[in-house]
Amino acid sequence: MSEVTVRRPGPRAWATLIRCEAKMVVRDTAGLVVPIALPLLIMAMNASAAGEEMVVNGRSALDVHVLPLVFTIVLASIGIINMPSFLAYYRRAGVLRRLAVTPASPAMVLVAQFVVSLAQAVVGIGAAYAVAVLAFGALPPVDTGVALAVVGLAVAAMYGWGMVVASVAPTPNSAVAIGLIGFFALGAVGGMFGGTAVLPEPVARLGSWLPFGATVEALSAAWAGSPVGASHLVGLALSAVVGAVVATILFRWD
Amino acid sequence: MSVPAIQVEHLHKRYGDVVAVEDVSFEVAAGEVLGLLGVNGAGKTTTVELIAGLRTPDEGRIRVLGLDPRRDRGALRQVLGVQLQQTHLHHALTVAELVDLYRAFYPDPRPAADLLDLVELGGHARTRFEKLSGGQQQRLSIALALVGRPRVVILDELTTGLDPRARRRVWAGVEELRAETVLLVSHSMDEVERLCDRVAVLDGGRLVALDTPAGLVARAGTTDLEEAFVALTGRELAPEEDGCPR
Repeated sequence: MSEVTVRRPGPRAWATLIRCEAKMVVRDTAGLVVPIALPLLIMAMNASAAGEEMVVNGRSALDVHVLPLVFTIVLASIGIINMPSFLAYYRRAGVLRRLAVTPASPAMVLVAQFVVSLAQAVVGIGAAYAVAVLAFGALPPVDTGVALAVVGLAVAAMYGWGMVVASVAPTPNSAVAIGLIGFFALGAVGGMFGGTAVLPEPVARLGSWLPFGATVEALSAAWAGSPVGASHLVGLALSAVVGAVVATILFRWD
Repeated sequence: MSVPAIQVEHLHKRYGDVVAVEDVSFEVAAGEVLGLLGVNGAGKTTTVELIAGLRTPDEGRIRVLGLDPRRDRGALRQVLGVQLQQTHLHHALTVAELVDLYRAFYPDPRPAADLLDLVELGGHARTRFEKLSGGQQQRLSIALALVGRPRVVILDELTTGLDPRARRRVWAGVEELRAETVLLVSHSMDEVERLCDRVAVLDGGRLVALDTPAGLVARAGTTDLEEAFVALTGRELAPEEDGCPR
């Protein structure tokens, strides 16, 4: 009576789940403003002046300063605000619990959300970059490979923070609140509101290790063709690892 | 003699100082509809959550089709269909999208159209979950419990919060499941009387009686199930517990 074949959900289940998560994200129109529209706005406001100011290696201030900042806003807002608010909602609403009694594990929803938010980041960065290149003559990074690697590491670091937010937030609303506070705090010490030179030195240094500042500075170096500071890369890797460990310990499924 | 579909032996579960389930034992035969009846806090939901493998018992033994809900989790998920109390689904997905999603999890799912017909939601396939009425959400939840052609179905608080018409439609849907073993959690006399072959009465975490509805009435020497319940537990099902929204 007990000879039941255990069949894990296959590629079709994964594809359907990812498609469903994508629909959830797209239908949450308000959630698309910060990662897609806000970065575009910030770029459009700064691009024309910055595009004419040459900095290094034929790259303008638009390439070296504005684009890294805009891309970082995309990655941070998706990783720290949007993704955790979905997970907190799923937990609160009982979606994760419901999936726990199907052959699909609730962990599949986590993975599907990662995949969809990654796609969202590609769209956000792609849109901003396309406008920068077509409308304002932005140039690609001097070290493209390094820039891509930094983006990959930044995604891991932002998700690390996001998973901590999803783990500690008791409700979906508090996840948005904690995510927003985290996003603006990291942004404030990482140069979102102007250069970090005006910050007290220890704060500015801390900000350059935390994911926002580290991503901005590492991308900036990749665009300029200068070596990426090891402290930024180590900071990003640490955020990813610490976030993963904390979330593994604290994340609740119901 | 066939092996019971569900076997529960000396089940114990406490949350801190609160005893939720105390020494509960029962069996459900294959193809039987067993009702778990009791007031709020009687231990009904904890019992079914233990059987579904969502919680770990402190003591006792559970077998569903011979499977241990914790150890054989993966196998149990293939043969068990569960409708949880007050579950919400992906709120922005439509009925059809949710059915497709849950169908994708099982090797041989029921056709989507059959499921929607069973719970009379065919006309709402393109409606988002958040736009459905409480009764429609409940009916979708039942349909999703049946997606994978389960051999054992757990239905928790099937019609709580539904109006009388919606309740009758849900009941009609359940009556069509005759071939399967059903464990039905309820605090509605009408519901267990209409749907269940036997009824397990829980009170304060303990099993106080297990019999057919008629058997319970005869045993208590009363005229109907409601009076039998009062005689057996010393409690009345408060009107607000009997299927009305809180």
